[in-house]
Amino acid sequence: MTLLKEFILPRFAQWLIVIFVGVTITFIIPRLSPVNPVTEALARMQMYQNIDPEAVQAMHDTLLDLYGLDGSVLEQYVNFWKRVLKGDLGPSLASFPLSVNQLIGVSIGWTIGLLGTSILIAWTLGMTLGSLAGYYPNRWWSEGLEKTLITVYPVPYYILAFVLLMAFTFYLPIFPLIGGARGTAALTWEYITSVLHHGFLPALSIVIGATAHRFIMAKALTTTEKSSDYVQYAQMAALPQRKILFYYVTRNTLLPQVTDLSLSLGALFGGAIIAEFVFGYPGIGTTMYTAINNGDYNAIMGITLLSIVGIATASLLIDLIYPLIDPRVRYR
Amino acid sequence: MFRKLVLLLLLALLVVPTLVGVAQEPQGLPVEVPGGRANLFVFDQIFRWGSVGNFNVWRTGGNTPHHHALMLETFWNGDQETGENINALAISGPVYNEDFTEMSVDLREGVMWTDGEEFNADDVVYTVETVKANPGLTQQGWHAQLTKFDVGVEKTGEFSVKFTTLPNPRLHTVFESRWAGLYMMPSHYVSEVEANLADGETLADWHWNAEDVIVLGNYLPQQVDPNGYWELFKRRDDPENSLAGIITGGSGPPYVLSIFYGNENIKKAIAMSRGELDVYFDVDIESFETTLDTTPTARSWYKDFPWAFPNEYSTRHLAFNFEGDPLLQNKDVRWALALAINNVELAGDYIGGLAKVTTFAVPPTAAMTGIYHEAMEPWLNELQIDLGDGEMFSVYDPTVPDQLNAWAEAQGHEVPGTPAEIFGTGWWKFAPEASEKLLIKAGLSRDGGGNWLTPDGEIWTLDLQSDPSENDAYRMGQAAADMWQDFGIDVNFITLDRGAWSQNHHVGAFEVSTPWGSFALPAGDFWPRINGMHSDFYAPAGEDYRPLGGNSLRRLVDPKIDELLDAMEAVDPVGQADQNIALNIEFIQHWVENMIDITCIAFKKLVTWDEKYWTGFPTAENPYAMPLYWFQGGKYAIQGLTSTS
Repeated sequence: MTLLKEFILPRFAQWLIVIFVGVTITFIIPRLSPVNPVTEALARMQMYQNIDPEAVQAMHDTLLDLYGLDGSVLEQYVNFWKRVLKGDLGPSLASFPLSVNQLIGVSIGWTIGLLGTSILIAWTLGMTLGSLAGYYPNRWWSEGLEKTLITVYPVPYYILAFVLLMAFTFYLPIFPLIGGARGTAALTWEYITSVLHHGFLPALSIVIGATAHRFIMAKALTTTEKSSDYVQYAQMAALPQRKILFYYVTRNTLLPQVTDLSLSLGALFGGAIIAEFVFGYPGIGTTMYTAINNGDYNAIMGITLLSIVGIATASLLIDLIYPLIDPRVRYR
Repeated sequence: MFRKLVLLLLLALLVVPTLVGVAQEPQGLPVEVPGGRANLFVFDQIFRWGSVGNFNVWRTGGNTPHHHALMLETFWNGDQETGENINALAISGPVYNEDFTEMSVDLREGVMWTDGEEFNADDVVYTVETVKANPGLTQQGWHAQLTKFDVGVEKTGEFSVKFTTLPNPRLHTVFESRWAGLYMMPSHYVSEVEANLADGETLADWHWNAEDVIVLGNYLPQQVDPNGYWELFKRRDDPENSLAGIITGGSGPPYVLSIFYGNENIKKAIAMSRGELDVYFDVDIESFETTLDTTPTARSWYKDFPWAFPNEYSTRHLAFNFEGDPLLQNKDVRWALALAINNVELAGDYIGGLAKVTTFAVPPTAAMTGIYHEAMEPWLNELQIDLGDGEMFSVYDPTVPDQLNAWAEAQGHEVPGTPAEIFGTGWWKFAPEASEKLLIKAGLSRDGGGNWLTPDGEIWTLDLQSDPSENDAYRMGQAAADMWQDFGIDVNFITLDRGAWSQNHHVGAFEVSTPWGSFALPAGDFWPRINGMHSDFYAPAGEDYRPLGGNSLRRLVDPKIDELLDAMEAVDPVGQADQNIALNIEFIQHWVENMIDITCIAFKKLVTWDEKYWTGFPTAENPYAMPLYWFQGGKYAIQGLTSTS
């Protein structure tokens, strides 16, 4: 009971407050932007066509009504929460009459697949290699890895992505230029392999940088941990090196790395805008970018809502599972 | 044991996707069709679709590019190459009564819907009445336009209709597509859909699935990418009964794939070099040169210099905000800026000699040159401005095309026509000494370093903003900024993303910018394009002009412009063509005399195709249709293709 009252409930309340405040700010910010979804829609309609000015005025009123943007901001805010609590994120204002739920539904799977896999691979690789390199700092492979990854790490992501794109779609054209898969979704071997084929290059571009980042972090943590008294004691006691590294050192460095992994996975709903643009990958990042450009309030709010819930939930889960990972937290 | 299993799993997580990913054959295209590339034409989709898989084009947000060329039909198509209105579903032009309250149209016989029904007057009546009755069918403003003029329609025969309208000599433009026109609905099908709508639903809510589509065009949607990157279309079984088939006699490729490779020009060049794109709609000159280097079978409108299709119907200007820098409200200052530009250098070194020159916002196509540019030439040659103290200066230089011709030859290019055909018209003299006198007349002065000072003695700073996604507009802006800086003006050249740049236009937050546009429709009429400049639609700087419906980009209120627009509105552009053109020319003269914009060049499009799989695209040698395949009238180019195999 004390655990629930003193540990779980306060964190849950904090989670709710973070989401409420985040969503409210998200509601307000697009409305402060000079980009107006109705006038953007009018501009798109008039891009090539001559429309009588008085007819445009009439269309302006029709669109306000269709998009649900008539009424005061407070009324819109109340309506927004009513819809959100029912799981309805409203119509997309740029891709009308598509709903925001449909818009997100189409792209979120690609982002989770690409970013989720890339983050897990990079985290596993970076942590393992970084721990090994930190524990065995003077081996040739550890020095080689460190030099390579420290060189790669500062390269801006968009340059790395473009180099990979040019290398593997033009000079050695073995990967596709755009898309997430061939054809339309089906549970066939051909479709599944085409998903892997299309995702490989963008995933590689994310994994390289993210691995370097986690390698540096894991190596630094392991190096510090290695100089601890208990490690020296274990070495003097002639415990196997592998046991010292993976049972003692790595476990003790795990806490910040699990936090990093959880937050990275929580932030996944924001998408990977640059990767999606460079590789023409159909994720939620480009959906968000398009929504911002077109003043699509509802889509911006829908995607941000997902991100806020994702990060807040990841933080909540970390708080809740810390005691399971680290006994020291449990004892406190 | 457990640890080993975990290790093995992790290893598999890394290795399996790698092997599967790398081992795949390079299959860049997202679909396969029977017969492969010999049966599939692939074109550059100009946007990534936001609203996917709904072919109800009449609703708000319906996708028109490409769809209208492949599937949809209206009465007339404006051809931007020739300026002609091609009779499409109408067999002849509109016939108005004397007071423009009635318009009669004779329809083409023998055009079949893809389900075998023949198109007839019932379809026209149903379409007009349905669009007028549904406020949610907002596409291209058709509903609003029909309502504003209280348009009615009656069937006068199986293949003839009569419209009634409030007085309007331009009702036909609703059914005339440069980009899009009111597309006909299959009344026998949509009326059933309408009858079965759920309570509270309207046709704006109707989702027309790909498999149910019935059209007059030559193609039916076959597969749609839910992410909006591509769409596959299949040729109808009876292409000879489609409108494009009847007009051209061609049948077109069996399958057509539209695909969006992103906004990065180089990706289109790469796709073409990989054999995964047969035509793209435009790129910058550098990516085009990459295409020529990497795809030997690729070409644009001209086989060699100047390559690009020169007749897309628009022009590019340096536009002034009349409520921005107060100095820019002075006509002499605007003229000084125009005369400080060397347009031979701008069109040559900055644009590569690919776009034609013009002094006003009508592209110098063959048709428009005959109507406007030749008529304006004597007036331009006579045009003089006062430099101060009564000194008059002739501003026009008719030798600009010759100078550009010499520039091109010096670059090693062979020019495939007369200088006027390739490089357009004359332009303003490059006369910095005249500019100097004009600025002094306006009260400006130079400091010891040659910098221009305002009448208050401050350094004169001019903000010029542009959007790099429009290559030619951006380079035109760069050229002007460089030349004005050389002339001693402190120019702040601001690069903005398209969204921010457009927004600044809409609310009047700029001093000088680089928009584009044309006064004229392809047939030469001005009023439909420019009536939004009437002061009735004026919005002051700081307010968005679009909700008012007009085009108050320049924040200009000019009684002479109002007077001319009112006069144009009352004239029948067809029956009173001479009177209409005379008013249009008077409008141009007023615009030019006051240097309201500095118009520099016309549009060009490096629409480029690869003849590896398909041949027969229109070219400068065989200009049977305009190559702008993304416009509604672009269908004729697709219809004329034949497989190389």
